[in-house]
This record gives sequence, C-alpha cells and structure tokens, in this order.
Amino acid sequence: METNQRLTDDHFPENPEKATLDGKNKFLGFWLFLGGETVLFATLFAVYIGLRDNHMDGPSAKELFQLPTVFLATMLLLTSSLTSVYAVLALKQNKVKSMIGWFLVTLLLGLGFLGLEVYEFIEYVHEGHTFTKSAFSSSFYTLVGFHGGHVLFGCLWLVTLLLRNWNRGITLTNAPKYYLFALYWHFVDVVWVFIFTVVYLMGKVG
Amino acid sequence: MADHTKTEQPVHRNEALHRKIAIKEERKYHNVSFIMMILLTLIAFYAIWSDKVSSSFAILFILVLAVIQVFFQLYIWMHLSHKGHDFPLWGMISGILIAAITVAGIAGLIWTS
Repeated sequence: METNQRLTDDHFPENPEKATLDGKNKFLGFWLFLGGETVLFATLFAVYIGLRDNHMDGPSAKELFQLPTVFLATMLLLTSSLTSVYAVLALKQNKVKSMIGWFLVTLLLGLGFLGLEVYEFIEYVHEGHTFTKSAFSSSFYTLVGFHGGHVLFGCLWLVTLLLRNWNRGITLTNAPKYYLFALYWHFVDVVWVFIFTVVYLMGKVG
Repeated sequence: MADHTKTEQPVHRNEALHRKIAIKEERKYHNVSFIMMILLTLIAFYAIWSDKVSSSFAILFILVLAVIQVFFQLYIWMHLSHKGHDFPLWGMISGILIAAITVAGIAGLIWTS
C-alpha cells in the first residue's frame, strides 16, 4: 500500500502510527530520545537544586516568584496536554478536521504559556534577577529557559507539521509524525510538573 | 492485508464497533486523569500558598504529588500501559533511574562542597 495515500475509514489500521516499519522505528527512536531528554533535564535540575540558595545580593527565590503567574502557566500547559491527547484520539478515528482543530488549540495554549514566561522573565530582569547576577539566577534561567525553548520548538514543530500536511488527510506517513509530536508535548508537560514543584513551590518555602 | 476477502466484512464491521467503544473508554480515562492532575496541582499550590503546612513536610508532600502526576502523564496520556510498549518502558525507566542518580549525585556534590 502506498504510504502517502489518504487513509479511508474502511482500511484504517488500529494503530496508524505503528502500521509501517518506518512508523515503528520512529516510535522506538523517539522514546529513546525521551529517555535521553530525561537525563538532560536531570542534570539541569541537579545544578539548580545545588545552587538555588546562592543568590548573592540579588533577589532570592522567595522574594522573586509570583505564584499566580506560575499557576496560570501550569494550567495552560496541562490543558494543552489534554487537547493534544484529544488530537491523538481523533487521529486514531481518522477524523482529520477534529485532529487539526485540537492541535490548533494545543498550539494556542502553548503560545499562551510562552507569552506568560516571556512576561515573567522581563519582570524578573527588572527586579535585578539577570542571567549573570548569581549562581541561582544562571541555573534558574538555564533550567526554565531550556524548558521554554522546548515549548517554543514544539510550537514551531507543530506549525510545520500542520502546514505540510494540511490537505493530505491522515496517511501512514504522517500518522507517526502527529503521534510523536503529541508524545513530545506530554513530555514537555512532565518536565514542567517538576519545574513548578522543584523551582517555584520549593522556592517559596525556601 | 491481501488475504482479506469479502466474507470477512461483518467481522470487520464488528471490529470497528469494538474500536469505537475502546476509544470512548480511552477518552474517559483521559478526562479522569486530567481532573486528577488538576486536583494534584491545586493541592500542591494550596499546600505552599496557605503556609499551613510545615516547610520540610510540604516539600516532601509536593514532590510525591509531582511523581503521581508524572505517572498519570506517562501511563495514561503517553500510553505506556498499552500493548507493545515494553521497550519504551524500559527506555524510560533506565532514563529516570540515571536521572535520579544524576540529581542525587550533582546536587549532593555541590551541597557538600
């Protein structure tokens, strides 16, 4: 079967993302990548936990962090994780329009999260919390910024994915791509769960 | 694919119905896990915000909440519990194991120096 062919409901495989060898390889490779990403973020977390009290004469975590902004950002990212899971459910039912719709909602929520993060960083810089201020500020921006970079990358990835496949329906070639994007997006949310817990909430109690 | 004949058509339709039910079931799981994660987040924020819980206990408490939440993400939203996920599961477990050693190692090193 031609893998670029638009799939019809009659011949729709149960797991279109793993129906070809190509898809299976992508799936496996991507999970290995996520295992590696886990270690990468672990190193950044470890450095942050080690250095978070060294704020020199800059503001400390307790003075700096604004929980309402963080809470809102958390809700945005958590909801976007749900909408991307809805998109995958639509993918598995060959509902192209619904899938694209849910992915667009995911994209909007992701962009909203990014906007909040940029706003937050600008506020911090105004309060003297710049990248080179202290070991605390450097490790903070590296960790949280790296996560923000992942969100930005995810948004760009999703935009290219949607534009490229806009009129193609669901095929055996693009189904694994959509599926992997959703996995990536969940992973970014997993990292955020630890960031709001370890960085923001633990920063507030000192 | 090639040996599917017309006689299998009813079976095929039956299969489609089964799949529809399975997806409906899955959606329910996703919704429940979303509500659970929102609740866990709310509890974590409240524990810190309200200042009613002692610091050291609160830290342990919110860390446990985070781990539970990650479990929901990995198992339900990223489908790690589904069939054919043995290899990814091992990949993630070894990743998380190395991650835990890394955090303990580096944070411990900086702490004691």
